[in-house]
Amino acid sequence: MKKIKLTIEGMHCASCASNIERAVKKVKGVKEVVVSLMTNKAFIEIDEDVNREEIKKAIGKVGYKVVDIEE
Amino acid sequence: MKNMTPKEHAKMQHDEHSHHGVSIEEKEMNGWKKKLIFSWIFVVPIATFMLFDRLFKIIIFEENIMRIIILILAFPVIFIFGWRTIKQGIKGLFTFYFNMDSLIALGTVIAYATGFLSMFGIVSDYSGVSAMIIAFFTTGKYVESIAKGKASQEIRKLLQLGAKKARILKGNKEIEVDIGEVEIGDIIVVKPGEKIPTDGLVIKGESAVDESMISGESMPVDKIKGSNVIGATINQDGVLYIKATKIGKDTFLAHIIKLVEEAQGTKVPIQKLADKITSIFVPTILVISVLTFIDWLYISKDVSKSLGIAISVLVIACPCALGLATPTALMVGSGIGAKNGILIRKGEAIQTMKEVKTIIFDKTGTITKGMPEVTEIISEMDEREFLKIAGSLEKVSEHPISRAIVKEAEEKKIKLLEVKKFHVERGRGIKGIIQGKNILIGNRKLMDENKINYNKYENKIMKLEDEGKTTVIVSINKKVTGIIGVADAIKDDSLEAIKMLHKKNYRIVMITGDNEKTAKAIALKAGINEVIANVLPEDKEKEVIKLQKNGMVAFVGDGINDAPALKQANVGIAMGTGTDIAIESGDIVLAKGSLIGVVSAINLSKETFKKIKQNLFWAFIYNIIAIPLALFGTLNPVVAEIAMATSSVSVIGNALLLRRKKI
Repeated sequence: MKKIKLTIEGMHCASCASNIERAVKKVKGVKEVVVSLMTNKAFIEIDEDVNREEIKKAIGKVGYKVVDIEE
Repeated sequence: MKNMTPKEHAKMQHDEHSHHGVSIEEKEMNGWKKKLIFSWIFVVPIATFMLFDRLFKIIIFEENIMRIIILILAFPVIFIFGWRTIKQGIKGLFTFYFNMDSLIALGTVIAYATGFLSMFGIVSDYSGVSAMIIAFFTTGKYVESIAKGKASQEIRKLLQLGAKKARILKGNKEIEVDIGEVEIGDIIVVKPGEKIPTDGLVIKGESAVDESMISGESMPVDKIKGSNVIGATINQDGVLYIKATKIGKDTFLAHIIKLVEEAQGTKVPIQKLADKITSIFVPTILVISVLTFIDWLYISKDVSKSLGIAISVLVIACPCALGLATPTALMVGSGIGAKNGILIRKGEAIQTMKEVKTIIFDKTGTITKGMPEVTEIISEMDEREFLKIAGSLEKVSEHPISRAIVKEAEEKKIKLLEVKKFHVERGRGIKGIIQGKNILIGNRKLMDENKINYNKYENKIMKLEDEGKTTVIVSINKKVTGIIGVADAIKDDSLEAIKMLHKKNYRIVMITGDNEKTAKAIALKAGINEVIANVLPEDKEKEVIKLQKNGMVAFVGDGINDAPALKQANVGIAMGTGTDIAIESGDIVLAKGSLIGVVSAINLSKETFKKIKQNLFWAFIYNIIAIPLALFGTLNPVVAEIAMATSSVSVIGNALLLRRKKI
């Protein structure tokens, strides 16, 4: 189990945050996602071997950009 | 930064900016600003034409030419300045990741399309309206981004608090380096008015340090050789030489920032319903607007009117106000908290706090200073000899009382002896062998268990206990040879804080490992009349559970040995005194050791929760009133859009009002 923190660009409304939560939860190995609209951050709990790129892709697909990943 | 010369101040500000770049918030704000300006440049002429046409029946151009002009003018507004919104929205419609853009996009694109259809006489022209919707939408978003920036101001200030440069001592030369290059053990020179670059230990110099930015404590704190200093605090009047003890991610400031940031990712339970509604909000509105269109068409047989009403429904519905209600208030609340040394870790605590009936205070380190000192040594032996034996055995334990005794021995320059076969008896004392003699130091329980008679000292022990002093009995080869009284003074403002809490009708309980008499004496000094004494560290949690039968309980402790009790309590308030912040155990962490912080934390939680409730109420009411209004055809689409933009801005505005509250 690992916690990562993403900085996301392009969120501007509450449904944006819930969309990202929904999209990231679908990535395999993701345990918990909390998106904070106010700080443009997503806090994600994942299994060790989850590909960060896949999370980025999932977020990109629903229309937002990941600008930073902190482990 | 009041004691900084203007030049230093300017330099520091410059440093802060050059290292920071443009934040996402600023980028967002600037983006909306640009869109807003350009949109209005095109929308003003459109609005003028429409006004002349409708109000004064002045036809500037022939009807179809007019339509084409408006279509041309509206095009860039929707498809260039509004493009991101339109794109996101349409994408959402196809991927089933609906967002509020989907509503705006659908509304404006349909409205724009009527401009073409109107040329064939099918419907009346809404294309001008579509441009106006986008113009008001971007305006609303711009104001919202400013308000959001304000809401996160305190937290951003925290991020910028850290020093950017440090002056380190290499040989006898002072060189300036970037903060990232400082290593543990480096000697840093801090001149008056400068920021202390990182956490460290003063090795030379004396000064007062302004720690208000970290603890909220307005009085400067005196620092001398051996004092700990915290990075980002400001050295006031003397030169300090500091050995760096913590850098980068491990500093106190970095911990605080992490804590506050992570708190934004926690949920307040009351938000759950709003979140659920938000997640089904957009598709629901889509369905409602389609039904509205069909119904109106059926009733009125007027395509134009039905379309206009359906568009109004699309653009007036606002999931944003609902979604922003809690996070904005939480953000403002935790920002104010951080400024005052109250760190909210879990959003849930804000909601739970108002249900709390009982507050349990740990004694040592919470009500008292946590630095016990030896006040009495009563022995039939030579005092130095006696202290030599006691100090030697106590040296093996980390207990605060043990440390006090060891400190006393060391201060008297007594050389300590070697201890064999020692054993710490939790909640009782210590056993060990020194120079072949069996030594026992501890409380009555330890003596009773080992059948050692201490009757000779009983009166003296009782007297010390009445004064609130913890007393340990020292026995050599099963014979009591003396007692040591240890006192831990209560913090200056404990009494005041407890009084304030009593006034708010809380049940206040003190919990401690001390025996009944000592505990009662201390509690009395702090104004507490309910005491749970003789509690082993591992049993504090059980006492919390017992008290929870009478309602919700908050536990206030200094974090390290109180962790299970802090977790068990409905609200755990950890004293994160100094740099040893006990981050993981509390729901709320107080950066400053004072108990007044508990009162402030309670006030802050209550005020913040009140704001959340207000915001949610208004957001619900807005949608409950606005959607039917649009549905029954009483609102023009442009008015609908203005109402929508206003609603989300007002939610943030209301959250910002929290900053005016005194906590």
